Formats: sequence, structure tokens, C-alpha cells
Amino acid sequence: MTNPYAIETNDLTKYYGTSAAVDHLNLKIPYGSIYGLLGRNGAGKSTTIRMLLNFARPTCGTCSIAGCDSQQLTPELLTKIGYINEGHKLYGSMKIKEIQQYQAAFFPDTWNSKLFDEMIDFFELSKNKKIKKLSNGQRAQVSLALTLAPDPEILIMDDPTLGLDVVVRRQFLEGMIKLIQRKGRTILFSSHILSDVERVADHIAIIDQGRLRADCTTEEFRSAVRKLIIHFDNTPPQEMNIPGLLHHRCNEHIIEAILIAPPEDALNQWCKDNNANIHSEVEMSLEDQFIEYTITPTKRHLFSWDKY
Amino acid sequence: MPLWIQIAPGSKQPVYKQIFDQVSQQIAQGKLNTGDKLPAVRNLAAELVVNPNTVARAYSLLEQKGLVITKTGAGTFISDPKLKDPDMQQISIINDRFDNLISQAVNIGMTGEQIRELFEKRLSQFNKLDDIHGDKTND
Repeated sequence: MTNPYAIETNDLTKYYGTSAAVDHLNLKIPYGSIYGLLGRNGAGKSTTIRMLLNFARPTCGTCSIAGCDSQQLTPELLTKIGYINEGHKLYGSMKIKEIQQYQAAFFPDTWNSKLFDEMIDFFELSKNKKIKKLSNGQRAQVSLALTLAPDPEILIMDDPTLGLDVVVRRQFLEGMIKLIQRKGRTILFSSHILSDVERVADHIAIIDQGRLRADCTTEEFRSAVRKLIIHFDNTPPQEMNIPGLLHHRCNEHIIEAILIAPPEDALNQWCKDNNANIHSEVEMSLEDQFIEYTITPTKRHLFSWDKY
Repeated sequence: MPLWIQIAPGSKQPVYKQIFDQVSQQIAQGKLNTGDKLPAVRNLAAELVVNPNTVARAYSLLEQKGLVITKTGAGTFISDPKLKDPDMQQISIINDRFDNLISQAVNIGMTGEQIRELFEKRLSQFNKLDDIHGDKTND
């Protein structure tokens, strides 16, 4: 394998009118990883995924899957890619057994009927049931079985667990773990449920207003974003140039600072120079960290009843 | 006694730390004994529904701290606690934790006697400590 990346984007950009949905995105996803794509609604996650699969054309820049430009994906290569769209849109008039045959035809060499049947049995679904008669969760289960049955080398999922109950959500996570344990498989998925992301993703990428804001291992992100409570002997300085500071909130002699991977020595030196001491560190969940990392500091709270 | 690990979703503790903490606690409580084999990384990952790299990270941290040893091809086993001495840095971390706990206890109005009593009670839960201590005195 000459190209080490399963998925790669180079300055990938997409404009809708005058606004950039995706803005010079450079993402490199190595084989064998589970990449969680995070970002708020409208951040550009779906647009990125759509360009990867050639459902949308980049305004400029390029993207590729398995070393092949997304606009030149061959049928042969497409059989190695699994894709699950948001909302699990499937042909409603087909029965499960019909959609199975339909899907299998696209994967003549790799379709695994036994695996598909096993999953449908496990989900306690009848293969004679029509797709439109299924609940959202059941439709998602069919979509998972359809996508995993050909044993995809690269799996791309756009918010696959949106609106699903906890049991179906867990089944999706299990499917991902089972797949990744097969050698060289790669998964890219977007999600808003950060506890799921933390569980299965070894890397996270955060997109904010079309731009890549973070791209690292989940563990690196977990240890990099820190919230410290800092006490000042006197009035805190006007210029809060703490090393690694992202933003801070001030309350007289105390500040609450969100820092990104502050170098320990530089931080201690800064405290010494400014008559400050670190009172404590507030532990954060991945969700807390994501919020602190992506919010506009001046827009912390929705509104206050007191004002009205 | 099989390994029993529960991952708390959305916890403030990273997942690898949760696994590390729970295994080391079970070793301290004598639920896991010297020579016990830990599940293979891929099996535990599948069971807990977490990324295999996360389990591998927890195992390597356990190994780094001397709690387990990995024998190539054979698996990961609980190591013999008598073979390792707590180093000074680890002791100072424990000291800090004690200080935190004691000040919390004092803040909610507990007396020294009550704290001592509670400590003894908790300590008696860790039945393995007596064995270790006994063995060390005999050496």
C-alpha cells in the first residue's frame, strides 16, 4: 500500500453562493483508525462527506478515498466503500429480502449473505416486511446490516445514530468495533453524541464554520483542553496572555481559564510573574471540552430571565 | 473472579483511565490475583464496545505501573505485587489524595476519630493488604 491514508482532503473547499460551507479542509485519515467527525449543525460535516463520495463537487481543492480522487471513483473501488446516510433513506416499497438482493448485486465478490441474515435475525426482523412498515430504529438496523454485509474496507457514516434509541445506537457502536477489528478497516463517522464518539473513536476531527479546528487522537484532545481556576493576589492584569489560553471568564480576583495544552513550565512562570496561583483544575467530559472549545466566549448562555 | 469493568458514558474520566482505575482497584481488593490472565485486548474491546486502541492504552499503562506483565504470545497477567516497591512520586500522589479527602471530611464536620474509624473500615475491605504486609515482614 503506497498511500498510507484511507481518506485525504487537500484544501477541500465548497462554496454555496458566497458562503463557504467547507473552507480549505486538510484531513488525513490513516488506515485502521476510527475517526469521529465533530462539529455543530451547519459546520460542514455533511458537505465534506458528500464531496468525499462525489455527491457534491468541491469549489476548489481535492479529496480522495484509498488514494483515488473522489471524482474518479471506479465501480470496483466503490464496492470497498460502505456509506450510511443521515436518516437511513432506503426504498420503502421493497421488502427486506428484496433490498438484500438489490444491494448484493452491487457487491458480487464480497457480499456475505450469512452475515446479513445473522444480523437481521439478531435484530428480530422479518425479511418479508416492507421497509416503509419499519420503525426508524428498525430501518437503521437494516441499513447497518446492508452496509456491513459486504465487509467494507472504508466505512463512512453521516450521523448514523441520529434520533435512534440507546439500544440501536449501541448496536451501531458494536458494528463499528467488530469491523475495525478486521485488519486495515477504516471508519469515518460524524455524530453529536460525544460519549459514543469517545467510546469508539481513536481520532477526532472538529470542524467549525467549515474549518478544521482540531485533528488529533481522542486521548490527546482529552488531555489538551483544560479548565483551570486561577487566583490573583491583586487585580488580574489587563492583558491575559496566559500560555495556551483559549478564553477566560473573570470574577474579581478569580479567573476561570480554558487552556489548550499549556506548557507546564511556561504556565507556572506566568503565574509567578503575575502574582497568581492555580487554585484547582476542573475536570471535564469530552462534551464539556467540545462546548468550551467551540463556543463563542461572549455567547455562553442563551438568555437570562432577569433581564425581561 | 472474572474481570468486571463498567464504562461510564460521558464521564469526566477518559475511557482508558476508567479501565486502568477499575483493574488496579480490583487488584488492590484481591479480586484479581497474581498470575490471573486479563482478557485479550480485542475481546475486552468487543465486550466493552470501546476502541481496541483504548484498551491497549489502559493495558500499557497498567504494565508501566508494574501491575501487569505481558508475555509475548501468551497474554497479559497480573504481576506479583511483592516484586515492586511504591516509588516516592507515587507516595506523594497518595499523600495529596489523603490531604484532599481529609479536608473534605473536616469541611462536612467529621471529627478526627470519625475519620480514623472510616479509614479503618475502608481499609478492611482490601483483604489482600494483610497478606502482602505479612509476607514482607517475614522476608
